[in-house]
Amino acid sequence: MTHERTILAIEGLSKSYPTGFWRKPVRVLTDLTCEVGENEIVGFLGPNGAGKTTTIKILNRLAFPDTGKVTLFGGRDRDGSDVRRRIGFMPEQPYFYEYLTGGEFLRLCGQLCGMSSHDTESRSSDLLAKVGLSSARGTAIRKYSKGMMQRLGLAQALLHDPELVILDEPMSGLDPMGRMEVRGIIRDLKAAGKTVFFSSHILSDVEALCDRVIMLHKGRKVAEGRVEELIGAETLYIELVVSPVLPADLLAAAGIPSDAGYAQGPLFVLRAPDNGHANRWIAELLHEGCTIISCVPMKKNLEEIFMERVGNPSATGMAS
Amino acid sequence: MFRRIFSIAANTFRETIRNKILYAILAFALFVIGMTFFLADLSVGDFARIIADVGLASIHIFGVIMAVFLGITLVSNEVDRKTIYILLSKPVRRYEFILGKTLGLSVTLLLTTFAMAAVLFLVHLSYRYGGRAEVGIFIASAGIYMELVLLTCLASLFSTFTTPVLSAIFTLSLFLVGHLTKYLYFLGEQSKEAGVRWASRFLYFLLPNLENFNWKNEVAYGGLKSFSILGWAAGYLVAYAACVLCLSCLLFARKDFK
Repeated sequence: MTHERTILAIEGLSKSYPTGFWRKPVRVLTDLTCEVGENEIVGFLGPNGAGKTTTIKILNRLAFPDTGKVTLFGGRDRDGSDVRRRIGFMPEQPYFYEYLTGGEFLRLCGQLCGMSSHDTESRSSDLLAKVGLSSARGTAIRKYSKGMMQRLGLAQALLHDPELVILDEPMSGLDPMGRMEVRGIIRDLKAAGKTVFFSSHILSDVEALCDRVIMLHKGRKVAEGRVEELIGAETLYIELVVSPVLPADLLAAAGIPSDAGYAQGPLFVLRAPDNGHANRWIAELLHEGCTIISCVPMKKNLEEIFMERVGNPSATGMAS
Repeated sequence: MFRRIFSIAANTFRETIRNKILYAILAFALFVIGMTFFLADLSVGDFARIIADVGLASIHIFGVIMAVFLGITLVSNEVDRKTIYILLSKPVRRYEFILGKTLGLSVTLLLTTFAMAAVLFLVHLSYRYGGRAEVGIFIASAGIYMELVLLTCLASLFSTFTTPVLSAIFTLSLFLVGHLTKYLYFLGEQSKEAGVRWASRFLYFLLPNLENFNWKNEVAYGGLKSFSILGWAAGYLVAYAACVLCLSCLLFARKDFK
């Protein structure tokens, strides 16, 4: 894979955690290698326990790899303050100092990032408005709901205007409206030239947002590529929606197998295996006086790709 | 670097000062210190000794309770609540985090120790049978405060790698041993075995000598008038605390957060 400029490069990353009384090491990440290019939105997918959060912790110096290395912005010193200042991070289910207000917390974050008071105040106001927390600026965090915490987490990650934004499950805990707003913020970040690397369980969000995805299962990478490449150009079937509901004798007269469709309210849904069948069926149905409501070629979605790669759909814990 | 340390210290100060349990301990301490006003009536003639003895012992005991109670959760609370994830993902070095947390708690302890010392000073001053201003109360309290800072450093060291319960046990053990190190040295020197003598000397220098900060008796007998005595103790505190904090930072530098 080639990028104009690589922002994040992970090479041969492996990690074990000691567990139990005898501190027996359990491998959670095995030989992960991937890259994130400038101005990309990359989704990091995997079921629970796949190693997503461990990878994100390593990127943020919260854990250290057994082997492998992480290169940020092409430099060697990933621990340097200058490098950290260029990264924004939101952990999964963020928790903050509950005795502070949202505004006070952002002020603390600004101080830690070396921002001036003036910059912190103006960025805080903008970001709190963007995440819908302007009215809760002076409210103690202990009174925040889970969704409000998530929004504040996003605001603190973006406060210092980072080039690379790393988000661990940014949609979790949000209602549909909140998810839509976060999707909008991520798109705005890309439009502003930023790079976004985020993990998620919610495949529809990943499919809608990401330029590329990296799939992880049991600590190993199982797939990586552009969303359209993974989904592919192949059409699985063509879905015809017809009105009214077709009786069995009419189907037989039109030469359509009885198991090719089903009734859905006042409509009838047919699955044609290819274009030839679809064209023939449409002609027959029109001849029989039916109305064609829609004709849509159906392709694989990311969830199906994921289930194929992971191989054990019942154990994935994924949500679409 | 200093701005980040001070920001973390200010936040820690804010966190500890809003802790209701701290206020409960402080209120009880001030009540006990205030009660020495009446306790002195029980003594025959030497009221100052009772006030200073009981009052300073109260400051000491309640100060240790506060230092241990707040110190043992200094780092572990941040890890348990995962607030540390946000802090360390910022341009904050791990040693800056440890130094900021310790500094913040030290400021809280300074305020609480001063409040207790001020109440004791007022009790001593206002005693109905010949009360007087005893500056030694503040000098002895400064010694107690230095001891509390050292205990905070030790508690934060244990807090970096073990649970709050074990941290409390280790810190309180060192508090007790720290007041007995001279006896350890003395007993070791009585031995005919060179190995025992060397071991006792080694432990004497390794373990904190908290008696370096103890001038309660001098105040009780009216022999403590000059602040210059604080110099040696402050030097010892700086040297020992620097070693403990370096060890904390080293242990914390490669800690994985699961």
